[in-house]
Amino acid sequence: MAVKLKAIYYINQFYAGIGGEERADAGLTMFDGVRGPAIGVAKFWKDEMEVVKTIACGDNFVNTESNFPEIASAIRELVDQVKPDVFIAGPAFNAGRYGVACARVCDYVRHELDVSSVTAMHHENPAVSMYVKNNLIVATPETAAGMSKILPRLAALALKLARGEKVGPAAVEGYIPTGHRYNELHEKTGAQRVVEMLLAKLGGQPVATEIPIRTFESAPAAPPIADLGSTLVALVTTGGLVPKGNPDGLRQAFSTTYGSYSIEQLEFIPSGDYESIHGGYDTTIVNDDPNRLAPLDQLRSLAALGKIGGVWSRLLTTCGIGTNVVNGVSIGQRMAVELKSAGVGAVILTST
Amino acid sequence: MRLTRQYFCVRDVVWSTSTEFADGVLYVDRDELKRVADSAAQGIAQVDFDIVAPGENARIVHVLDTVQPMVKVEGAGIGTAYPGCMGDPETTGEGVTNVLEGLAVMESAPLPWESAAASSGLLYPRDAIVDMVGPIAEFSPFSHTFNLVICYSLVEGKSSAEYDRAIRTCALRVSDYLARATVGKVPDRSEEFTTDNVNPDLPSVVLVWQCQSQGVYASTFLYGHPIDNLVPTLLHPNEMLDGCIVSGNYVWPAFKVPTYLHVNHPILLELYKRHGVDLNFGGVVFSRSHNPTHWHKQRSSSFCVKLARCLDADGLVMAWEGGGNAAVDGMLTIRYAERMGMRAAGITFEFGGPDGTEGDLLVDSVPEANAIVSGGSIEKSLVLPDVARAIGGDCFRLNKESGGWFPPANRSIAFDTTTHIYCSGNQAGHSRLHAAAY
Repeated sequence: MAVKLKAIYYINQFYAGIGGEERADAGLTMFDGVRGPAIGVAKFWKDEMEVVKTIACGDNFVNTESNFPEIASAIRELVDQVKPDVFIAGPAFNAGRYGVACARVCDYVRHELDVSSVTAMHHENPAVSMYVKNNLIVATPETAAGMSKILPRLAALALKLARGEKVGPAAVEGYIPTGHRYNELHEKTGAQRVVEMLLAKLGGQPVATEIPIRTFESAPAAPPIADLGSTLVALVTTGGLVPKGNPDGLRQAFSTTYGSYSIEQLEFIPSGDYESIHGGYDTTIVNDDPNRLAPLDQLRSLAALGKIGGVWSRLLTTCGIGTNVVNGVSIGQRMAVELKSAGVGAVILTST
Repeated sequence: MRLTRQYFCVRDVVWSTSTEFADGVLYVDRDELKRVADSAAQGIAQVDFDIVAPGENARIVHVLDTVQPMVKVEGAGIGTAYPGCMGDPETTGEGVTNVLEGLAVMESAPLPWESAAASSGLLYPRDAIVDMVGPIAEFSPFSHTFNLVICYSLVEGKSSAEYDRAIRTCALRVSDYLARATVGKVPDRSEEFTTDNVNPDLPSVVLVWQCQSQGVYASTFLYGHPIDNLVPTLLHPNEMLDGCIVSGNYVWPAFKVPTYLHVNHPILLELYKRHGVDLNFGGVVFSRSHNPTHWHKQRSSSFCVKLARCLDADGLVMAWEGGGNAAVDGMLTIRYAERMGMRAAGITFEFGGPDGTEGDLLVDSVPEANAIVSGGSIEKSLVLPDVARAIGGDCFRLNKESGGWFPPANRSIAFDTTTHIYCSGNQAGHSRLHAAAY
């Protein structure tokens, strides 16, 4: 008979039968074989895998930061000794401390000890937002009333991990989406799916959008400028204006960088010396007169009249098209550092 | 309106001494085809042809528009298709149309990059790539069709408008010529399209189809006229099946929708398939995407929803051609629809970075957009393999803004996004590509 695959299973003091809230400060205990929900999970594996050790810890003890190194090293020792094929924790449902403990030990085992791990909990458990990005968390109902529904899913995913098989998409395997998304071929076309989705919505059925909306960060408006006459003003544009020939090879879309060019010697931006490489609008007018994108000519006359304190010596420029938000934020932050360190007090940002 | 499409299934295309369609084989007289093509020769020095078959280890580069060969055999516009571009711009969508199913006429041309012909950062064609096999084969519909590729050599010194018109006219004439081989023949199958027989117990659904039109090389034509200033309008789906929309949009290969997909619009065909079964197909609201300001976008998208309301729509499918700019128009339309008590679902490509975790997945979204189908992420790196042959040119034409990069077209090449892959934005829902959530 083939050698059995091996699992280590983590639960809390309650499921281990050590005690309830009054024993939440109990330290780490190790049991040979199955205990608590591990019993229910293990029976789905028949003879293919067994739980070699069930470990349990009080929810308060494990969540006390100063205790974690001790727990981590005990788990490391156990893993070295057992050499498990998978590490399982929970299900924690919507229990916050238990959920964080399950997710944290799974995260530790997976990333520090290189052993596959899986836990299970409700999607609103606070541990989910902390750990879901790089861990497998099977979705559960809110309370332990859903135990019998969840154990077969947890068992199946644990076995898959132990076998070293590829884990499929979240909706197929039943875990909470991690945010990782990869291109694949669906069994149906986009056209079929969008019509089905609309019909489901019209029929009042629950609809799972395929592209979740992630929240945009809102940027508060800057306070008004107190004294423009003593403020250094800078020109920044996402309209893709660069010196002719695009010396830094800025991209015309999907930007990750920006250019910084001296305009110190210029009274205005001469056409012919500068051009827009932007890939999203008709750049003819800008190429005819770049000052209509970055109004240096107007700023110079305002400075001459003393209406503004001065014009900063550089033009910052990138192409605002197709850039994802993370890259956009990064470009903006780097620009802001450069502007701040130069003592710029106001920016005219022209988009297109 | 009733339209019968007679489908003639193309199982092979071979050069011959006369043009004829028999037993699923399209025999083509190459010399005659050349004469047909040359008659549109303003701006074109010469054309050559290539036949590329499904399953062939081949790559087509410099792809512009792709056309479905078809011809009207009964009803207005008889003897041609694509009214307004070919023939009079009279309302189409009734009678009988012969379609060469499984055949595509594909334009390939190295359009000049010089400022006289491509004066703008936006308005020049970026290299569009079709692979018949391998990792990107499923991204476009054309790995499944026989592709008669027209390879154009251009006269120097013409304007972009002249090249654009000559290339399109030539392809449509070639398409007409080939489709005429079916006249008088018995089709493999016929299908009748009508939105009559409305079942009052079923919800009414319309398609809102928004297309890019920003100037030469980024145009969409409605009955032969660019839609730059189009007020959203109403189309019978049969008009689209008969070619009232023709694409002249070559600027971003991933995001463009070729004529072939306007006339075989996968969402439109899906809605037709379900008409009378679980929905009533109420019609198509057609508008321009890429409206220039938020003000214009509000005006256009609320107008689209108004038209849907006039059709008594209970729901709409929102689909658009183009990138982030167009997404704003689409999202506003979804918002207005939901606020008016309609239900809306949409389809779009997404972002998300190499592993999908980076930032927001869409350039724009509204809370009402809670039923969006993923057409795949464009921010995925790709390695295209070596191919046995490349059609359309010996070299890719890439990175114009950095002075150009021209690696050999038949060799392996890596990209960090899918933007050069023809139709990979999946905006008409033709493909099964999607970003799976892990």
